[in-house]
Amino acid sequence: MLDGDFPQVLRLAAAGDAAAFATLWRDTQPPLLRYLWISAGHAAEDLAAEVWLEVAKRIGSFRGGEHEFRGWLFTMARRKMIDRHRYEARRPVSPTIDGELLDRPAADDTATAALEEISTETALALIATLPRDQAEIIVLRVVVGLDASAVAQIVGKSPGAVRVAAHRGLRTLRERLDGATVTSPGRRGVTL
Amino acid sequence: MRLFAASLAEMWSSACRRIPLSSDEAAAERLLAERGVDLEAPASQRTLELVLTAAAGPATERELAGEAAAVTAFLAALEPERAPQHRHHHHRRRRPRRIPVLTVGVAFAAVLALCGTAEAGALPAPLQQLAHQTIGAPAPAPSPAMRDQPATGRVTPGSAGTVTYPAPAPTSPSVGHQPTTPSASPSPTHTDNGHGTDNGRGRSSDNGNGGDTSTPDTPSPTTDSSTPSASSQGNGNGNGNGNGNGNGNGNGNGNG
Repeated sequence: MLDGDFPQVLRLAAAGDAAAFATLWRDTQPPLLRYLWISAGHAAEDLAAEVWLEVAKRIGSFRGGEHEFRGWLFTMARRKMIDRHRYEARRPVSPTIDGELLDRPAADDTATAALEEISTETALALIATLPRDQAEIIVLRVVVGLDASAVAQIVGKSPGAVRVAAHRGLRTLRERLDGATVTSPGRRGVTL
Repeated sequence: MRLFAASLAEMWSSACRRIPLSSDEAAAERLLAERGVDLEAPASQRTLELVLTAAAGPATERELAGEAAAVTAFLAALEPERAPQHRHHHHRRRRPRRIPVLTVGVAFAAVLALCGTAEAGALPAPLQQLAHQTIGAPAPAPSPAMRDQPATGRVTPGSAGTVTYPAPAPTSPSVGHQPTTPSASPSPTHTDNGHGTDNGRGRSSDNGNGGDTSTPDTPSPTTDSSTPSASSQGNGNGNGNGNGNGNGNGNGNGNG
């Protein structure tokens, strides 16, 4: 998060300053990719590029602080993800997840590594095993850093419904962590 | 119905606000809102905290690999907004070039079509006459009214259903211009009864009055049921005033 620097960076980026835009991009691209990977899988990088193109076109008309900027950006990301889902529903293809980026959890693997070595990819892979709405809300709250009301505006639910979905997701995760095994890149498996 | 649903939702949300979070819910909210591992928490919760902290970890090199491409796309997206004036200049330059070329092309095609029509003689009479005078196109054909005028036939009594057409106008000097009446014209077989005036010098001038005993052979009125024909024979009554110049041999008694 840029915090106090955000207004200046936003103003410069809106004026066409490439360095300011790069600062915004470096701050927001990682959570954007993680959110899109949870929601759209292999299409995450393509969707992220589309989102940034949209930001570049409309950043001059944006007004608000850093939280509003993130809410605006992730709302665009969610709409593009929904469009992608509709497109894929009309033209179904065999799903191919980018295995180099993240590995999906595999319950039948044995684990030998220590808990402290859990990577970001492994943690996201574990969250991705949740129902899509719960995983989406947990990522928006934990990874992007939005509060319940901001997430509610993005996903089109009430703040209460967002809280309930998040709590259910965390409870499910805790139950799975009690005895589940997650495959991490570079290792055969990690016991959490 | 919508108001009722809204009031129900409001009641439900206010009730939820009044109900304090349970310990699990409070822990979940803290997990979602804060990062860091609580060492005093139960093991399962610590594990969950570790997972969430890892998910929100620092950016990886792979995630930041596309920075150059993103900045390039940003600058390219700004380019159309920065250069609208240049595009206007391009439009201003192109339009004057395109319009004359198009106009000249259309005008040339129109002139070609007009000339072709004039050569075919299909223009209206005034235009065709103008084309005839200017570019040497064929002269306009006579109007249909003029062509129909000689063809006004008469039904001859006694010939039911037949139309009597006048014969074409003779090429020889004719008397009068009444197409429906036979014209009396001097013919080689003309028999002239003249009054000779002999002045004794062997020259006589004769003023013949034709039409008395003349029997014009051509032209003659024709009776035809289909097309007028010059070879048909008929009886015609002709009254004409003719001025004939004839050479006649007069026999007269002259007083020299």
